[in-house]
Amino acid sequence: MLMHLNFNSGQPAYLQVVDQIKTAAASGSLQAGEILPGIRPLAEQLRINRNTVAKAYAELESQGIIETQPGKGCFLIKNHSPFTREVRRKILREEIDALLVKAHHLQVEKEELLNLVNERLAAFGKKTGSHGTPASNPA
Amino acid sequence: MNASTPVIDISKLVRKYGQTDAVNGLTLSVEPGKCYGFFGRNGAGKTTTIKCLLNLLQPTSGSVRLFGLDPARDEVAVKSRLAYVPDNVAFYPWMTIRETLDYLASFRPHWNRETERGLLSQFRLPEHQKTSTLSRGQRVQVALIAAVCPEPELLLLDEPTSGLDPIIRREFIETVIGAYQETDPGNRTIFVSTHLIAEFEGLIDEFTLIDQGKALLTLNADVARQQYKRIRLRFAQEPPVLDFPEILQQRREAREVELIVRENGHPLTDRIAALRPESVSTQALALEEIFVATLK
Repeated sequence: MLMHLNFNSGQPAYLQVVDQIKTAAASGSLQAGEILPGIRPLAEQLRINRNTVAKAYAELESQGIIETQPGKGCFLIKNHSPFTREVRRKILREEIDALLVKAHHLQVEKEELLNLVNERLAAFGKKTGSHGTPASNPA
Repeated sequence: MNASTPVIDISKLVRKYGQTDAVNGLTLSVEPGKCYGFFGRNGAGKTTTIKCLLNLLQPTSGSVRLFGLDPARDEVAVKSRLAYVPDNVAFYPWMTIRETLDYLASFRPHWNRETERGLLSQFRLPEHQKTSTLSRGQRVQVALIAAVCPEPELLLLDEPTSGLDPIIRREFIETVIGAYQETDPGNRTIFVSTHLIAEFEGLIDEFTLIDQGKALLTLNADVARQQYKRIRLRFAQEPPVLDFPEILQQRREAREVELIVRENGHPLTDRIAALRPESVSTQALALEEIFVATLK
């Protein structure tokens, strides 16, 4: 998994690491049970402080996405969504609202936006090799 | 030492050279386990401050404390807990790298041989070559190895990468800092003075920007990148007058305006949207751009 940080995004570096690991998990480029890069190698690769990587991994662990096995490293957990259906919907609603605001600013019409969403769903579906989307299985 | 004692505590530090104030009322404090950036232009007072920390210079007034101790009174106790890499590294020219490291290790109660071996081979340093024949980059590498192997609680780096080519800079700072923080990261504090801020962008937890001997700005790096923004606006007609207090700089060109702003919790974008621009784009500033925006 190759990560890349953007210091012009305004998003804290640790959250960028969190998001990229989540994206990798959702798109299937990181599989359940697979080991994550060690804290020091990842810090050196991204040219960031090890505290930042440690903070990102702690956040992922508290969200139930990865687990730490002492002496072995961090692993992606199978079926990693610990949230109830309603909580998941709430989280997604907020993200969708942000997307809608952005689309409005960019003057992207409803039709075009929906097409884009479908296009991305198809792209993710291909990567995971499943017909559905990674988040579509109900609890 | 209890967890709340700052590793470095500088209070109202003043240091004069004759009539010139090199440091003029500087206050800052560094918590254990942090990587702290001390940014400023050449001549801003960075090296003078570090020399006061090391008791190489005495403060004209104000105080400096390391680990809660006064470096002038408890010099040995303070220095045994830190390592310092100056901007101009010098070794005894007749010694080889091996002899230099052994010599420096002889002053330390503890020396991590494994870290030393790892870094020497990673940098491909020729152990039996005399230090007088090394390139500038190799000399800095040796100095950094010598600084991290005793596993001190504090690493003081004064312009560690200036004068080095970009490839060497990229490679070794992360490697050395990674090795340093490998054991007991909560007790590995780094204080790095530099004007090459982009090199340290991702490493810095918190920073102080010093100018003319005073702290202009002290912030957490993530918070800084959230507050400082570049906003580009395009209007359908002549742009309106923009005089929000958050604006630090603005540039205008026909129907376009570029703003450098520092937000304080109340997003500017709402107020800007009320002016009905045709397009808005926002980008966070990297630390180096914040440095330039603050000093300009």
